[in-house]
Amino acid sequence: MEAVVEAEGLEKVYGETVALSGASLSVERGEIFALIGPNGAGKTTLVRALTGTTEPDSGTARVLEESPDAVDRNRLGVLPQAFSPPARLAARELLTYYAGLYDDARDPDEVLADVGLADAGGTWYEDLSGGQQRRVCVGATLVNDPEVLFLDEPTTGIDPAGRRTVWRLIEELASAGTTVVLTTHDMAEAERLADRVGLLADGALVARGTPDALVREHGGSSRLRIETDADTGAFRGLEYPTERPARNRQRSDRSETDGTVVVRNVEPTEIAAVVDYLEDRDLAYSGLSWSEPGLEEVYLELADETERDRTVAPTNRSEGSDGGRGSDDDSRTDDELPPAGETA
Amino acid sequence: MTRVERVRAETSAGWRSFVRRRTAVFFTFFFPVILIVIFGALVQTDPTGGGLFAEPAAYYVPGYLAVVVLFTPLSRMGSEVARHREGNRFEKLATTPLSRAEWLLAQTVVNAVIIGLASVLILALVVALTGAEIVFSPLLLPYVLVGVVCFCAVGAMLGSYTDSQDGAVAASNAIGLPLLFLSETFVPLEQLPGWFGPFVELSPLTYFARGVRAATIPGSDIPTIAGVDPALSNLAVLAVVAVVFFGLGARSIPRTD
Repeated sequence: MEAVVEAEGLEKVYGETVALSGASLSVERGEIFALIGPNGAGKTTLVRALTGTTEPDSGTARVLEESPDAVDRNRLGVLPQAFSPPARLAARELLTYYAGLYDDARDPDEVLADVGLADAGGTWYEDLSGGQQRRVCVGATLVNDPEVLFLDEPTTGIDPAGRRTVWRLIEELASAGTTVVLTTHDMAEAERLADRVGLLADGALVARGTPDALVREHGGSSRLRIETDADTGAFRGLEYPTERPARNRQRSDRSETDGTVVVRNVEPTEIAAVVDYLEDRDLAYSGLSWSEPGLEEVYLELADETERDRTVAPTNRSEGSDGGRGSDDDSRTDDELPPAGETA
Repeated sequence: MTRVERVRAETSAGWRSFVRRRTAVFFTFFFPVILIVIFGALVQTDPTGGGLFAEPAAYYVPGYLAVVVLFTPLSRMGSEVARHREGNRFEKLATTPLSRAEWLLAQTVVNAVIIGLASVLILALVVALTGAEIVFSPLLLPYVLVGVVCFCAVGAMLGSYTDSQDGAVAASNAIGLPLLFLSETFVPLEQLPGWFGPFVELSPLTYFARGVRAATIPGSDIPTIAGVDPALSNLAVLAVVAVVFFGLGARSIPRTD
């Protein structure tokens, strides 16, 4: 396959902040490549280095076999993060304006229809909702029918229906041969759209692969969440690894026993056995939910290692404690209980 | 799509954006009008009485024109660049075929139309309210255009090197006000300390004021430059400065943050 976007060892430092520290990737024609990673991981800087709007300190980047600042702009479509076009132009005027900057452009009304805004063409940008505004911005990247699309958080602020419109559009473009590099914080978006995902942490791609491969490698096991106030010790008789999510223990006004208990490695057919266990012991629960691991678990597994390194207080580190985990995401655990038969 | 069509698209968007900011439109024209009313009609000039406004009314025509030729591009361009930076618009434009010079040219065209209209209003008001006797030389048009090119470029630099719209407007005022009064516009060179003379020569607005004066007041004692008619030679100097500033202004426009 032909590599359309390539980066090798990109480094970029702003003052004392390392934005990129050896980022490398290769994206093939017609592929959708999603960059995920925590805030400040270097996603936007990487996109800028690939689009020629920032000069890396070292390393090489190539887009359509050219250096990013030499590639024909007519072949690129770029949606910058937090992009805000002139506010007092109507949606159609904005697309006409951006179309006018390219050698060959699509009909702005067609593009408006593509992004689901056929009825809003006459509305000033500032009078559109936040989600509609973002869709106009996505439309502005499509007016030149680009071969390579760079979308920095394309669906931020868009409602679920609008997001699906944009997703369908991106999928259609990729099917027609457009190469797409996008950044997102929405794991469902990455999982749905991306042929491959790259996880950036501290300026480097720490993992990349198809969503399935990443989940297999880093996602861990299935989770059965039990909403219960029962004491954690009550679950030691289960033959599955059992965890209490970190959030339960972070708030001092909560007791040790409220919240959620997560039981791992339970197959769907085995859920009944867990329910029987709860009922045999009169353990009250208000809900059960079962899930396969997804990209979110991969993200939390890999990105949080970096986040923890940044946020854990030195005293906690020296004590070997995990108490400094800053996030209150309830899918991480710091209170792992051993399977039955092992000493807690 | 040719360069002309790209500039046309950018100009059209810039013009529409401007005319839809009604307060900006109002004050763009109100500012020079109020200045003429205050200085021309209320304070009035006094050719025989000495003081700040001791010259004939026609002497101050370049000064009134300079108000819009200098201030409007400085503040508008400074704000426009800052607005583009805040909205990541330059990052978007850097990934289109539009070059920074084309963007600046388009914005200059928008400013030229606005300032051209304001200049016509000013000339009419000056004649009507102050009784200034001037010749409507065709050279007024190139002077206004070249002046707009020059100061749009300076405004672009101010917007690029300041970090906000507020900063750009403050910087344009800080630079514009001294230039306006110390470039032989309202205050003759004789009323300034002798040591200040070389600084006056460094101001591009000086060549605008001298040239417009030479073009609009027949027989005025504006010195020639290299033996060339002052109405043309001052325009040539201003044009050279404008070309240099345009290049610097275009280079200063950021590509990302």
